[in-house]
Amino acid sequence: MEDRIKNVMSAVFEIPADQICNESSSDTIATWDSLKHMNLIIALEEEFNISIPDHEVGNMLNFELIFHIINEAMQNNK
Amino acid sequence: MIEMKYSEILKSNKELGDNLKSNSYSMYIISNIIVHQIKEILEYLLRVESINANVELGDYDNIVQDSIKYKESNAIIIFWDLCNIIDGFHYKIELLNNDQLDEILEKTKSEINLVLNNLEKTSLILINKFTSLPFSHANIRKTRLHEFAVQLNCYLEEKIPANVRLVDLEKIIASVGVSRSLDLRYYYSSKALYTVDFFKAYAEFVKPFIISANGRAKKALIFDCDNTLWKGILGEDGFDNIEMSLWTKDGFVFAEIQAMALALNKQGILIGLCSKNNPKDVDKVIKSHPDMQLRNDHITINKSNWSDKVTNLKEIAEELNIGLDSLVFVDDSPFEVNMVRAQLPETTVLQVPEKLYEYPKMLSGNLGLFYNLSITLEDKKKVEMYKQQVNRETVKKGFSGIKDYLASLELKMTIYQNDKSIIARMSQMSQKTNQFNLTTKRYTESDMNNYIDDDNSDVYAFSVADKFGDNGVTGLCIITSDRNSKTAEIDSFLMSCRIIGRNVEYAFLDYVIEKITAKKITDLKAKYIKTRKNEQVKEFFDRCSFGLIDENDLIRNYTLTMNTYVPKQLDYIEVIDGR
Repeated sequence: MEDRIKNVMSAVFEIPADQICNESSSDTIATWDSLKHMNLIIALEEEFNISIPDHEVGNMLNFELIFHIINEAMQNNK
Repeated sequence: MIEMKYSEILKSNKELGDNLKSNSYSMYIISNIIVHQIKEILEYLLRVESINANVELGDYDNIVQDSIKYKESNAIIIFWDLCNIIDGFHYKIELLNNDQLDEILEKTKSEINLVLNNLEKTSLILINKFTSLPFSHANIRKTRLHEFAVQLNCYLEEKIPANVRLVDLEKIIASVGVSRSLDLRYYYSSKALYTVDFFKAYAEFVKPFIISANGRAKKALIFDCDNTLWKGILGEDGFDNIEMSLWTKDGFVFAEIQAMALALNKQGILIGLCSKNNPKDVDKVIKSHPDMQLRNDHITINKSNWSDKVTNLKEIAEELNIGLDSLVFVDDSPFEVNMVRAQLPETTVLQVPEKLYEYPKMLSGNLGLFYNLSITLEDKKKVEMYKQQVNRETVKKGFSGIKDYLASLELKMTIYQNDKSIIARMSQMSQKTNQFNLTTKRYTESDMNNYIDDDNSDVYAFSVADKFGDNGVTGLCIITSDRNSKTAEIDSFLMSCRIIGRNVEYAFLDYVIEKITAKKITDLKAKYIKTRKNEQVKEFFDRCSFGLIDENDLIRNYTLTMNTYVPKQLDYIEVIDGR
């Protein structure tokens, strides 16, 4: 699952997947602006076939949080 | 619709963009809502067709100013959404009084005028028709929003100039479904209304406009016969047992397919056959089968024989003098389909669906391949003209020298100078001509109009007739000049491929040069700009006594001192002044 998230982030932010680590965040990735954030959410929802709750959208600002929130959303979808 | 995930599209689009070396085709999306996701999706769909599209986005809700800023781009798409004409318009409208509503209507109309004025010289503008559907689809009563949309659309329909095409958003929303088209979550937080699924469908819908503007619309539809134009196998089932009438279930499907082919043929699309059959058997069906709709008059080329389809399709492209990438081939056999796809990747191949009842839907879903920005009279005549070409090829074989042959054709060439009545055709030629085209510059009708109006440029065109018929307007030359320095330049020089081989290009150049000389021009510059398809004219200017100044992989620059020009004076072409 980590690799799938990294692949999506790589496509959205146009950076190589191997440059993305646990600490990657909107502060370390220069192309991560508000429009790209919208793309990220939509691409992740499509990738994992989940719906991310509205109140979590604004929290998904680094890799670890993204991982955590997606995990939760997948549990809830079951 | 594209099956790929959004992130896959982003990735592939970037890879395609990094590898495409052709000239970039610049597009701007200007909008009053957030639609940024269309960028990569549209780029991707066009880049797959090797059009190096670069789609950029205007500022948020800044259509009028953006229309000034980006008017130089090749194409502009305008997303003018009702919901944000004023903030929250979709719900406020029900509470406005009539004066307030009129004021907003008038304001929007005058903004439309401003934008159309600003973009007057832009080659291609796509404007989405206004729709209330996202907010009114569940209403039983007509909403004011709906009526407002109708009024604005009427206004648009009346106003639009030749460089604008309207995009019917409701068709796109219908194909995706209202709820799958809209993502209200981002509407309320960021004024982004549409989903990625919507943008995929939108990009597919507008693709034919862009393909056509790049001169890449398909020109011919080639059918296999057995189980493609009729039900059954002619060689096995026999003349009396193949089905294509309304009276049998399967025949009904093929009757519809043939009618669709006929309709395309009326618009100037060439129809051909490429089938493994005894030629005599197929001829008999075309001539005398009572249910056959496609007859000899409609079928420009017929390769019914036992050669393989790849060879036949290559011959078809050659004899019609069009590229393999201008062909669409339809066959029912997966074997043939795969073979042609593998060996002729530039040709579009459609397979008859296994569920036969889906065949007409499949074909009609692909009609965009043939979409032409301007359908003119010439298109309707074109089919007839290609047929004459096949007759000419037959006559050609009986003559010893090519000159004798050309003389026997009794060629008459009529030349028009700055003639506005043929603007549509001239613009179309610039968009569609690929092979005999020295600079391959694409111009819209409004571009052409500007060249005609400008004192420093002249637009020449010619039509050619011979004893077999009239080929219509088939050649174009644009000259720009600078009287102060007494120099001029050939901006464009092109000729439709269906009249190649008659040396009319030399007679045309003779005429144009005579006109330029009369204007006291002393030096004439010219260029050959290389494309994938115009190799055959690489040395055209060399053959016309121009001097090569410099060249690189892409461009050859020439100059001609006017008084050294040696006219070809071809006595077998009669030149008539068409003014």
